[in-house]
Amino acid sequence: MIRYIGRRLALAIPTLAGIVVLVFLLLHLAPGSPASAAGSAESGRRVSAAAREEMRRLYGLDRPLPERFAQWISRVVRLDLGESFVDHRPVSERIREGLPATLALNGLALFFTLAIAVPVGVAAGGRPEGLFDRASAIALFALYSMPVFWAALLLQTLLSVELGWLPLYGISSDPAPAGLAGIVDRLAHLALPVTCLTYGSLAFFARLVRAGVLEARSQDFVTAALARGVSRRAALWRHAFRNALLPLITLLGLLLPGLLSGSVIVERIFAWPGLGRLYFDSILSRDYPVVLGLSLVGAVATLLATLAADVAYALADPRVREEGGSA
Amino acid sequence: MVAFLWLVAAMSPLFREWAAEIRLEERLQPPSFAHPFGTDDLGRDLVARVVVATPISLTIGLVAATVSLLVGFGIGGAAGYFGGAADLLLSRLIEVVLCFPVLFLLLALAAFLPPSPAMVVLAIGLTTWPADARYARAEILKAKSLDYARAAKAAGATPARILLRHLLPNALPPLLVSAAFGVSWAILAEAALSFLGVGLPAPAASWGGILSVAPAYIEEAWWLAVFPGLALFATVSAYNLLAEGLRQATTEAEVK
Repeated sequence: MIRYIGRRLALAIPTLAGIVVLVFLLLHLAPGSPASAAGSAESGRRVSAAAREEMRRLYGLDRPLPERFAQWISRVVRLDLGESFVDHRPVSERIREGLPATLALNGLALFFTLAIAVPVGVAAGGRPEGLFDRASAIALFALYSMPVFWAALLLQTLLSVELGWLPLYGISSDPAPAGLAGIVDRLAHLALPVTCLTYGSLAFFARLVRAGVLEARSQDFVTAALARGVSRRAALWRHAFRNALLPLITLLGLLLPGLLSGSVIVERIFAWPGLGRLYFDSILSRDYPVVLGLSLVGAVATLLATLAADVAYALADPRVREEGGSA
Repeated sequence: MVAFLWLVAAMSPLFREWAAEIRLEERLQPPSFAHPFGTDDLGRDLVARVVVATPISLTIGLVAATVSLLVGFGIGGAAGYFGGAADLLLSRLIEVVLCFPVLFLLLALAAFLPPSPAMVVLAIGLTTWPADARYARAEILKAKSLDYARAAKAAGATPARILLRHLLPNALPPLLVSAAFGVSWAILAEAALSFLGVGLPAPAASWGGILSVAPAYIEEAWWLAVFPGLALFATVSAYNLLAEGLRQATTEAEVK
C-alpha cells in the first residue's frame, strides 16, 4: 500500500513541475504586456513611451526570460504568488477573498451532481431499455448538449424576470436581511448558479454510473447473488453498485477542472464574487500575477484531487495495489 | 440534422445583406410576422443573423476539432506506439495539460493572442487535444498487442508503415466517434468564448457573439437569448447524436 502511494506520488512530481513551467510560459510568451494594456485604446488612456518603459522596469518585464523564470520559481516555492498589477495587493489575499464564494458554489454543485447522478444512473442501469432508462437517457442527453450560458439566460428570464421567484444575480440582497431571512436570501441567490453549474457534470456523471452498473450487473457474482435468492434490489445496490462505483472514484478528481471552467461562465453571468470572476477580470486587465496564481492553484488542486482519488481507490480496491496501477 | 445545418450554412450568403441591415427605429422588436425571432439592439433581424452565423460556428467547430485531433493523435499515437521513455514523457505532458481547467487555458490563449478566427481555432485546438491524445494512446496500445500488428512487425514492416497501414485503419471507427464529439465540443467552446467577449471580433458574430448582448436586455428582450441559443443547442445536439450513433454502430460491429 505504502509502495503504491509512493509510486503515485513520484509520478505526480514531474507533473507538478510541468504545471509550473507551463503556467509561466503561457503568460510570459503572450504578446500583450500589462504596460501595453494600460496604454491601449480600450482603456482610453495614453501612456508615453517613457512611462511604459518605467512600468516595464518596475515589474521586471525588461529582464530576460530565464531570469524571470528563476525569480518566479523561487517565489512559488515560498508560496508567494506576487502582487496584483491592478490594486497591488498580494495575489494570495485576493484568492483567499474569492475562495469562500467559489467553494460554496462548487461544493454544492458537486454534492448535487453526486446526489442526483448516482441514483439516476443506478436506476437506469438496473433496468436497461426500461421506461426510466429511455426517458432519463433523453433528458441527460439534452442536458449534456445545453450550453451553460444559454441555460443560465433562460432560467434568469423565466424564474427571475417573468415569475420573479429568484433574484437575477449577486450573492445576497443589498442590504442583506438579518437572521433567518438572511439565510433564505443567500439560498435564493445560490439556487440559479448552483443549478447551472450542476446540470452539465450531472449528465456526464450519470451516464458513467449507468455504464458502470450495466457492466457490473452482467458479471457472475450478481447472477450468483440473484440465484441465492437475494432480492433484485439488494443485488443491484449491494453487489452491482459497489463494484460499479469503485472505478468512478478516480473520475471524481477530474470533475474539478470542469467545475472550475463552468465557474468562470456562471460567476460572470450571475455576478458572483468568486474565483471564476476574478480570473476573467484578471485576463481582461492582463493582471499576470493573478492569472498565473489562479491557474497554478487550479491545476495543483486538480492534481491533488486526482491523487487523493487514486489513493482512495487503492484503499477501496486491493487489486489495484497489487498490480501497482497503470502509469 | 447535421446535413440540414450545412444546408442552412450554404444558403446563408443570401441572408447576409438582410442581417447587416441596421434599423435603429426597429430595435428590440419582439417576434412578429416580419421578424419571426424579433430584432436585436441595433434593429437587425435575428433570423437573418442566426442564419448568417451558422457557417461561422460550424466551420470553426470543424476546423478546431481537426486541429485538436491532429495534435492529440500525433502525441497520443506516438506515446502509444513507441512506449517506454517516450510514453512516460508524453503521458506526463498530457496529464499536465489535463490538470488545467479547459476554460482557464482557453481564455488565456484567446485573450492574449490577436483576435481573429484563425487564433480562436488555434486556441480551441491547443487546449482540447489532451482528451484526444489519451484516447488515441489507448487505442494504439490496444491495437499494437493484436496479432496482425506483431505479424507485420515480424515481416519487417517499417514503423510508419505499421502505424498507417495496420494500426490506423483498425483504430479508426472509435476515433471517428471522438471526432464527432470533438466538433460539438469545439462549437460549444467557441460559443463560450464569443459569449464572454474574447472570441470572434464583432461584427462577424457567431451564435455565442449574438448571445453576448442578451444579458444586458434580459429584463425586456427574452428573444435575444432564446433563439440564438436554440440554434446552438440544436447544433450541439445534432453532433452529439451523430457521435452517439457512430459509437453504437461501431461497438455493435465489434460484438459481432
